[in-house]
Amino acid sequence: MSNVPPAVETRDLSKHYGQVRALQNVSVNIAAGEYFVLLGPSGGGKTTLLRTIGGFHRPTTGSVLLHGNDVSRLPPDKRPTSMVFQSYALFPHMTVLGNVSYGLSLTKMPKDQIQEKAKTMLEMVGLTGYEDRKPHELSGGQQQRVQLARSLVLDRDILLLDEPLAALDAQLRKDMCLELKHLQEQVGITFIHVTHNQEEAMTVADRIALIADGNLIEQGSARDIYERPKHRFTASFVGENNLMDGTLLTVSGDDAVVDIAGVKLMAKTEGQSFTAGDAVSISIRSELVKTDASSLSGSVEGHCIIGTFREAVYLGLTTSFRLTLDNSNEIQARFVTGQSAQQFSPGDRVSLHWQPGDTRLHAAQTKTHTP
Amino acid sequence: MSIRSGITTSLTRWVFILPIAFMMLFFALPMILTAVWSVFERTMFWMEPGFTLFSYENFFTSARLLNFLASMYHSSIAVLICLVLGFPIAVFVRRRIPQAAQHRVVLLFILPFMVSETIRVFALRPVLQRNGLVNGALMKLGVITEPLTAILYTPLGVIIGEVLSFLPFIVFSGFLAMEAVPRYIFEICEDLGANTFRVYKDIILPLAAPGIFAGSVFIFVNGIGVALLPNILGGPGAVNAGLIATQAISALDFPLAMAVSAIMTATLFLLLYIGHRLFDLTHILDPVNK
Repeated sequence: MSNVPPAVETRDLSKHYGQVRALQNVSVNIAAGEYFVLLGPSGGGKTTLLRTIGGFHRPTTGSVLLHGNDVSRLPPDKRPTSMVFQSYALFPHMTVLGNVSYGLSLTKMPKDQIQEKAKTMLEMVGLTGYEDRKPHELSGGQQQRVQLARSLVLDRDILLLDEPLAALDAQLRKDMCLELKHLQEQVGITFIHVTHNQEEAMTVADRIALIADGNLIEQGSARDIYERPKHRFTASFVGENNLMDGTLLTVSGDDAVVDIAGVKLMAKTEGQSFTAGDAVSISIRSELVKTDASSLSGSVEGHCIIGTFREAVYLGLTTSFRLTLDNSNEIQARFVTGQSAQQFSPGDRVSLHWQPGDTRLHAAQTKTHTP
Repeated sequence: MSIRSGITTSLTRWVFILPIAFMMLFFALPMILTAVWSVFERTMFWMEPGFTLFSYENFFTSARLLNFLASMYHSSIAVLICLVLGFPIAVFVRRRIPQAAQHRVVLLFILPFMVSETIRVFALRPVLQRNGLVNGALMKLGVITEPLTAILYTPLGVIIGEVLSFLPFIVFSGFLAMEAVPRYIFEICEDLGANTFRVYKDIILPLAAPGIFAGSVFIFVNGIGVALLPNILGGPGAVNAGLIATQAISALDFPLAMAVSAIMTATLFLLLYIGHRLFDLTHILDPVNK
């Protein structure tokens, strides 16, 4: 790690509302210029974390450091952060230009310079020609662009985005995702983006942190999180992972043997510490599960299990086979439609198999995680 | 159409027709007659049809006009005091109180309305009079040596009474006005670094203006119209239009009372017209973002 302090650092940050623990000992480092996404289910604490970084909440314990300075007790406008809100949060009585220039009008900057900066920023978000419109004359996407311009024009170097695309319809959200990513690359400042949408997170993020139940569960690049989830929660939340619950039989070195519904399956511990007898889960992404009529030929021992076929679900690009294991875990096997000629009937016994290395091993319960 | 739905339809129609008929008969018609009667000739105990502007001349060339103008002035002061005291309460409730509790808090401020106005205003007399609570306390504290006589039976007393009577209303109408100000506005302002003064000047007042205006007109019109307040708390220099009309009725000068009423009504319409030109009052009860 270099000597430059991270743009954002939280140290053992907790926020309690009475008995409710919205955040518990969250420590995170975000480098300058990074596009960082806080991903997690609703009510998991990700917005609380964002708002605490922005100064809208005071932490119960712990501290927030921006560029190495403790700002825990500073109000939002005294921090190098600016917030883009979820709803179309604009001043309804002001024009687009008025909204964007209002923040600067509170400073000592000369009027013509404010106008010029605001217009430049509107050009950057693609709203040239809309200066004199009122917010209610704009579409949802345009209103969010105005919010972006209003925040960026302040020249603060950390932009906080609280579910900025949540109110937009699906197609627009996809377009805006890429625009946000490109905008961030263009301005080069730190973006922290809260969302519960996995695709949105993976589109924009340099790094993703999973937040649930007030804890930071896991962080890493989109690829890390998707392909090598460490925690059971991550596996259940990101991608379409199958979770098979069982008991750890033996561990030797990196190799673990797990009993799942009476079948011995192999998995790698990948540096996590386990002891025999632990309740564990094995996860495997649905696109990595292959199906075969009952014979187990061609599959590697320790990497196959028998399940009962329930139904096939046609999803257009992909088709999904839904099966159950004998311990009643549900398994999905997904393949590109047309790439398998297999036909099963409900109740058929089907062999499921995969390549060694496709599976991940998790402790059954996600423990409070302190990196 | 079935018989049942036919009955329902005609019932629904009457639900609208009855109140309209009531208001036409007992509000609109008398209002028109007020203007008509104000130009009738005065007789000993009643009036007779005719056309004379004597009542208006009587009003505009006597001390009544000065009293009327003075009561508009006092009423304006009461409006300002109510706004300064009451509107920040509405802002506070909207900004700081959890959504679910907001209406209950506003109810607390409206509760005084449940006590008869006569009793509320009359109860002020022992407080404000020469040997009343205020004077007693100030003398005990040594702030004054002689009781203040300038409080009761003066315009000051009337203004205090008006503020007491109408403050709950400005809290309520202010709260309604603040519904036009979305809560996120305050957070944006915090983020941008707008101080309290700028938040009020640039954001809250422009957005809440129609509601504030409506509340102010209500107080102003009642301030010049409610005879009770100057009757109980006022004195020679504190007479309002309502009291002038009441006194004219006592003196059996009905055309004059009608003329005063007509002038008050005209004043109200003028105010509403100005307000409408300034704020477009059709939007007063609109939800957010228009």
